[in-house]
Amino acid sequence: MSEENAEELKQLEAEVKLLQAEIIALQQQRQDSWENASFQFRGQMQDALAFVCGRTQDLEETVVSRLKEEVEELEKDLKLQTQINGICLNSCITKTLQSRGQEVVHQVRLSGRSSELVFQVEFQLSELKDGSRTERRIRDLNLVLDSSDLLSLSSFLSRVEETRDLLLFFRTIRSYSEKCDDRTRTFQHFQEKFPSIVSLPKGMTFGMPSEVMTLNHPELPGCCFFIHWCVDVSTGGAVTPKIQLLSKIPEKALQLFPSQPAGGGAAEAFQSLLRILGPEAAIESIIRAVSLSESDKLSD
Amino acid sequence: MEGASTRGVLSHLSLLEVQARNRGSQVPQQPSRVKELKAKVEALTSQRDQLKAELQIHKKLQKLRAPADKHEEDGEDEEMDIDSKSSELFHLMARHSELTDLLHAHNLIGGYDAITTNGGKGMCFSLATEYEGVYLDTYNLELNLKPKVRISRHNIPPFIPLNSLAEQSDLQTDVGAFLATVSQHLNAFAGRRQQLKLVKEQHKSVEVMESNLLCSILVLMFTVPKDKTPLLCTLEYTDHTRCLPTRVHLNCHDKLLPDSPNWKKNCSLLKEVPVHRALMAIKKDSDIV
Repeated sequence: MSEENAEELKQLEAEVKLLQAEIIALQQQRQDSWENASFQFRGQMQDALAFVCGRTQDLEETVVSRLKEEVEELEKDLKLQTQINGICLNSCITKTLQSRGQEVVHQVRLSGRSSELVFQVEFQLSELKDGSRTERRIRDLNLVLDSSDLLSLSSFLSRVEETRDLLLFFRTIRSYSEKCDDRTRTFQHFQEKFPSIVSLPKGMTFGMPSEVMTLNHPELPGCCFFIHWCVDVSTGGAVTPKIQLLSKIPEKALQLFPSQPAGGGAAEAFQSLLRILGPEAAIESIIRAVSLSESDKLSD
Repeated sequence: MEGASTRGVLSHLSLLEVQARNRGSQVPQQPSRVKELKAKVEALTSQRDQLKAELQIHKKLQKLRAPADKHEEDGEDEEMDIDSKSSELFHLMARHSELTDLLHAHNLIGGYDAITTNGGKGMCFSLATEYEGVYLDTYNLELNLKPKVRISRHNIPPFIPLNSLAEQSDLQTDVGAFLATVSQHLNAFAGRRQQLKLVKEQHKSVEVMESNLLCSILVLMFTVPKDKTPLLCTLEYTDHTRCLPTRVHLNCHDKLLPDSPNWKKNCSLLKEVPVHRALMAIKKDSDIV
């Protein structure tokens, strides 16, 4: 009797050891593949997991409807954050590179856009526990912008990749895309209001909205004024719109006005107008001047 | 005498009786150990199965989230009949984890983490600061939205002029512009403060004589290698939205030193590069100790 028991005991003890080893291996696998923070199931996700594993008495419809509710809350929250932050994120992929002692390092890959500006951002995020605080640090930042307007952004982008100022990058591209939108909106507004005077290049130049608005009177085809509106970004991330008035007047016309103020008379005057009236009103006064019309009714 | 011995015998007898009874109710050792181990095996088996299930689900959810990625064959999925369960549930789970990740990403990139408060009448924002890849302090600001937009509670330090910033960016019509300006000021302040911290850590030979709360003035004492001459350097950060000084002023007994070509170059450097890094370059050129 006791011999059988001894045999059984041995078997059982071996089984226990085997299972314990299997569990440790699976836990390690779970640790390695818990690539996203979200896969640490909490709340409704935990209930759903329990249901799928057959560990709960809940009905499928109950689990589904509760999870649906939570998903809807999250969708609403994401809409709110997208609107307030002015950044639309399409995807976020996280991979745990290292989880050792006090430090966890993730590789994060984001893609999204700020208005028309599309970006892909990749960086390493290190989180180091220091007592009650967690110190977060960015390492190795990589930025890719799907934009042909890279000329104005290139010095900023290379500096910000070097310094790893991730938040400055996002603040700056948001500000930059907002100011570009201001320009597009203003140009379109004037083209609609004064179609005979204002022309914008058809479509986009090199995939980016135009920086130049052309003004000319239909009866004076050789004489053009150009509103050149560019949005500069300094290396440190300061976003400044620069609006200039340029003109193209044929020599023959210029000769008719010997007492014309030298060179940039119009350009300087425009800068004063800008300072006093702001962009929209300043541009409108130039348009009215070009139209050579006395009356206020210009649009047809 | 008789009573005592009887008592002794009787108590001894009852003791023996109790012992006999206990022996009778004792379960033999071996079988209970077997039961114990059997129970343990059951518990461990269920724990292992749960882990296996979680891993399988994790794999499946990943596949759902990245349909474009063609992974290896799904051979392993058949082990567990997950597919027989609701696919709606799985799609919901995948979407849930996707949304959680995106919301986390908004926080990582310095988003405002906006929350409505007070039944929709108010809104709370987090203003994160960061400098050269290091996340620094986060500040909070609550706005009342009705009847007018007004700043309610906040923990922004008093040397950031919230009220005048609110007036400048017209809080009523453009909350976003206001938040962006406050964030700009806070980040510039955090950046200047971090630079000061790095100067103290990395440049022990440089003495910090004076600094203010806003970190808009910094007075440093350098030691010039020749004759160990002290050189006083004042950095003025008059643009509070920037981390670089607008003015650099040198003071020295040797009146000629500040005008030397080296130091003219160093002053320019201090205006273009953050102070802790500028000092490294200046040290390298052996202009300071």
